[in-house]
Amino acid sequence: MKCEEVHHFIDAYLDGELDSARRVELEEHLAECASGRSLLEERQAFRAFFVATVQEYKAPPQLEAKVLAAMRRVPAKEKFSFWRQPWIYATAVVVMSICLALKILFPDAEKEFSRQAVLRHSSSLSTSHFVDVASPNPVIVKPWLTARLDFAPPLVGSPATGYSLVGGRVDVIENRSVATVVYKHDQDVVSLFCWPPDKEHLSTSERSMDGYRVATWSNAQCNYVLVSKLSNSAMHDFMDSFRVRIQSGAYF
Amino acid sequence: MREQQARFEELVLPHLDAAYRLARLLLKRDEDAQDVVQDAYIKALKGFERFRGGDARAWILMIVRNTAFTWLKKHYADRDVIPFDEAVHQPSTEESLSESAYEERSRQLREALARLPVEFREILVLRDVEGWSYKELASALHLPLGTVMSRLNRARLHLREEIAKVQPKES
Repeated sequence: MKCEEVHHFIDAYLDGELDSARRVELEEHLAECASGRSLLEERQAFRAFFVATVQEYKAPPQLEAKVLAAMRRVPAKEKFSFWRQPWIYATAVVVMSICLALKILFPDAEKEFSRQAVLRHSSSLSTSHFVDVASPNPVIVKPWLTARLDFAPPLVGSPATGYSLVGGRVDVIENRSVATVVYKHDQDVVSLFCWPPDKEHLSTSERSMDGYRVATWSNAQCNYVLVSKLSNSAMHDFMDSFRVRIQSGAYF
Repeated sequence: MREQQARFEELVLPHLDAAYRLARLLLKRDEDAQDVVQDAYIKALKGFERFRGGDARAWILMIVRNTAFTWLKKHYADRDVIPFDEAVHQPSTEESLSESAYEERSRQLREALARLPVEFREILVLRDVEGWSYKELASALHLPLGTVMSRLNRARLHLREEIAKVQPKES
């Protein structure tokens, strides 16, 4: 290595970034070259002086307190928020995509169920064929239904005052076999359709279709559709009473 | 959450001096450096989950550096026309009318540093004071290795020239 080259490599040498071959060359040259050695010392001294000078800048005494105070002012939820984890967003996107897909594939699912339930109800009225098993006794109706379906519908004997059990039948709604329990209240016939919430959970809704009132809801046990020509308030009374009995276990 | 904050403080507070030093060199003024350090620590706290362990000092210094550059962009169109504030924080002894030769040289070096472009100051501090390797510098500053080396060379040359202007004896 020549003297001019030493000038070129001396800083990288002091940085510890020279490859071993060059490093050896440089050290061998310095062993023989006084001016090279004095350059090395000069550069080393300057570096030490540079570092010492810069290190004179120290954080002022109050800065630590200021920083601590500022950090403690940051509201807790901004600090270690669950919502800032990146995986949350990936999951959210997936969930939203699925929901969107379902919405597109099954728009207003309960509307379709309502429509078909209304058809079954009105056809039972027009043919006057309300039930396949006729009995006011739930003890008779339930096993009949259970035998023909692969689930056991909860059977409420007297869902509300003034209503009596007429019997039951099996219907098909949206390719599902459903249990239809029929009640009578004076002149009004009420069809209550139910099936297990395996494929979907019916949302709560109420609408009028073809002159009938149809309500949908679901719980852990069943999806329900209620069809009748009862008034609004009578429908609500029926649904409330029915739900109370289900919740309190007053059914078969 | 308390332990997370305590862990953060334990991990990152010890580097306050280094953080302040870098900020001070980049921004030249004590007040601005203090503001940037505070902002950087708050940012670091908010992003602490993303810190996967490793060199906490390098991590906070990078946040300080980025905060400083954002600050510079915001406050000054021409980054190098920043007034330089000489005061260094040391326990003040009695007022001396004349500084020692060493103190004078130190002051001259600080002034010479202040005249350098900010990228030169940055790379000199990170390389010589913080001891970062060329590779680490390249990665942190998003520069190719060759640029790191040439920038260091130019920075050191510039600094020597600036000092030579006031200290012709030194080379």
